Amino acid sequence: MREIYIGVDVGSVSTNVVAIDRKVNVLFKTYIRTNGQPIDSVKEGVKQLKETLGDVEVLGVGTTGSGRQLAGAILGADVVKNEITAHATATIHFVPDVRTIFEIGGQDSKIIIIKDQMVVDFAMNTVCAAGTGSFLDHQAERLKIPIEQFGDLALSATRPVRIAGRCTVFAESDMIAKQQFGFSKAEIIRGLCDALVRNYLNNVGRGKNLEPPFVFQGGVAANKGIKAAFERELQSKVIVPEHFNVMGAIGSAILAKEYIEKTGNKTNFRGFDAADIEFSTSSFECKGCSNRCEVVKVSMEGKVIAMWGDRCGKWTNSL
Amino acid sequence: MKVSFPYMGSAIVYKKLFEFLEHEVIMPPKPTQRTMDLGVKYSPEFACIPLKMVMGTYLEAIEKGAKVLVTSGGHGPCRAGFYGDTHRNILKSLGYDDVELIIFDAPQDNWKAFFRNVQKIRNGVPWHKVINRMYTLYRFVQKLDELEKMVQKIRPYEVNKGQTTQVWNQIQEKFDKIKTRKELYRVYEECKQMLLSIPTRKVEEKDIIRVGIVGEIYVVMESSINFGIEEILGNLGVEVERSLYLFEWINDNLVPWILRPKRFKEIIKKGQRYIKILIGGHAVETVGHIIDFKERGFDGIVHLMPFACLPELVTQSLIPKISKEVDIPILSLPIDEQTGKANMLTRIEAFVDLLKNRKKGETKEVFIDNIQEHVQEERVVMV
Ligand code: SF4
Repeated sequence: MREIYIGVDVGSVSTNVVAIDRKVNVLFKTYIRTNGQPIDSVKEGVKQLKETLGDVEVLGVGTTGSGRQLAGAILGADVVKNEITAHATATIHFVPDVRTIFEIGGQDSKIIIIKDQMVVDFAMNTVCAAGTGSFLDHQAERLKIPIEQFGDLALSATRPVRIAGRCTVFAESDMIAKQQFGFSKAEIIRGLCDALVRNYLNNVGRGKNLEPPFVFQGGVAANKGIKAAFERELQSKVIVPEHFNVMGAIGSAILAKEYIEKTGNKTNFRGFDAADIEFSTSSFECKGCSNRCEVVKVSMEGKVIAMWGDRCGKWTNSL
Repeated sequence: MKVSFPYMGSAIVYKKLFEFLEHEVIMPPKPTQRTMDLGVKYSPEFACIPLKMVMGTYLEAIEKGAKVLVTSGGHGPCRAGFYGDTHRNILKSLGYDDVELIIFDAPQDNWKAFFRNVQKIRNGVPWHKVINRMYTLYRFVQKLDELEKMVQKIRPYEVNKGQTTQVWNQIQEKFDKIKTRKELYRVYEECKQMLLSIPTRKVEEKDIIRVGIVGEIYVVMESSINFGIEEILGNLGVEVERSLYLFEWINDNLVPWILRPKRFKEIIKKGQRYIKILIGGHAVETVGHIIDFKERGFDGIVHLMPFACLPELVTQSLIPKISKEVDIPILSLPIDEQTGKANMLTRIEAFVDLLKNRKKGETKEVFIDNIQEHVQEERVVMV
């Protein structure tokens, strides 16, 4: 029977599930839209994994992403880690000498700076530069170009057009204006890619020392136009790793592997039946003290299996 | 007089103050989402978050019956100096003509106005009593702060998760009931014992991570707006210390100049290495404390800034440089009405991972030939 480690990355836009073997070969990966239903998408991902790989022995499970706690509770994860550490772990595995990681997903974007295979600095978007992936989707739709062709079209442009990239709202109105000036779709898309990259580097990368090798990952890395814009702006090659859109999930699988190997523990994984179990979440405001914490409760077939959000530990410890 | 005040940090101290002056105290509720909603609704959009939260608090206190609101003013060129007047105008436009807002500006700016205000809130209590009770309050704040500092050193190592916070809540309740100085000292000893009897893990010095919290006073002091950052860090196994404690603030701002401890002046001097002139808020102190924390061997800094806070924006723009020169990782967290905790938690966790790695890494690096060059590049900044 094949022995695997499972990694799950639950973001607000997509849920990614991967399986790796002991040598970190990626045996399976899937990319599912979260659609506001993280429980369903995690179950769906694990079900697909089981269907594809058949009989396997799960040695460990790691989760990451904004839904990491929830996914961890559902699956019985061994490691629950933040996205920055998870992404860095995976990238360092595939590109050992990496110095700078650009990660742009549907909602979040990050820059991670690595030195000697250690995270020494990072930044995450706050308000601006959020939703780059979603914005690209929206623009593709508006220009009536399938998102898959977006990148190739950008590469075919010959003239540069400057689009105001201060924020996506301005970018959109500026694009409409440039369209009326008679620029071609290809040129506008290229301008848009340049603007998004400029904006991202200014906002997220402000004050950072960006050193090559550069690695670009996250859902948006599929877009060749953006990759080319990065290379123009940085005047350097930018690497897009093979598994660019599931690096967070791979990282959490690696972290689970390291943890299990180090401690020799047996995994907490609930088993593949988890996909058929009824889970539900609810939240309530605790009136126990003036903190009024918003406590999240996850139940499995009516039985509470996890709670978090309480500042005093009253609920977390009650299990 | 039915008196209330802005809720910030250990609000029982302000409550005690007005109790000692024999007022009927309307305790403002600890800020919640509702406070924020109210504040945001009735404040100018581009005001910073403390103004909005305090606005919300005032409205909630008035709902509970407050007729007089007492607050401290600001001085220097940042707009905090206009908070009081802005709040007053908003209250007026909402039709609360019967609510009085008393603003204590720095006494040295206008002694006359200051004493007029003192007369008003003194409430006819004889001066010798006022002085005696204020001294009790002074010690009250000191003892409470001492206990809080202990909490911050115990929490990361507690065996039963959440116990320290529970004890701290009990301590605050006990302090709330204190009436005299004698009682204060007794309760203090009792509380100290409560804290010392919390079971903790033993940690070696090399595994201890210390983080200093700096920034604008309201977001640093008030946990309801900063996501309870001290607890988050504590629960991640990190010792924390804030740049601001009420007792020190009183010493720095209210105690007559000659009696002030030297510490404050030193902090300002350190801050002036980067910000030479007064730009309001706590910008110079923020920088001074970053340097001070580093000198005292802290591993990292969390810098809290209200979104659109001018002085802290200046600090933030200096942070890459300071972080590099002083050699300490700094995480800047802007705070606004958005309450997305997931993003915040990710950053804090990753920051703690980074600090732990860095600590582990420091011993390894001895093998690198050109240490000097390496050390310079190793310096970290976070925005
Ligand atoms: S969960 Fe604990 S800290 Fe939160 S409101 Fe309830 S009693 Fe207070």
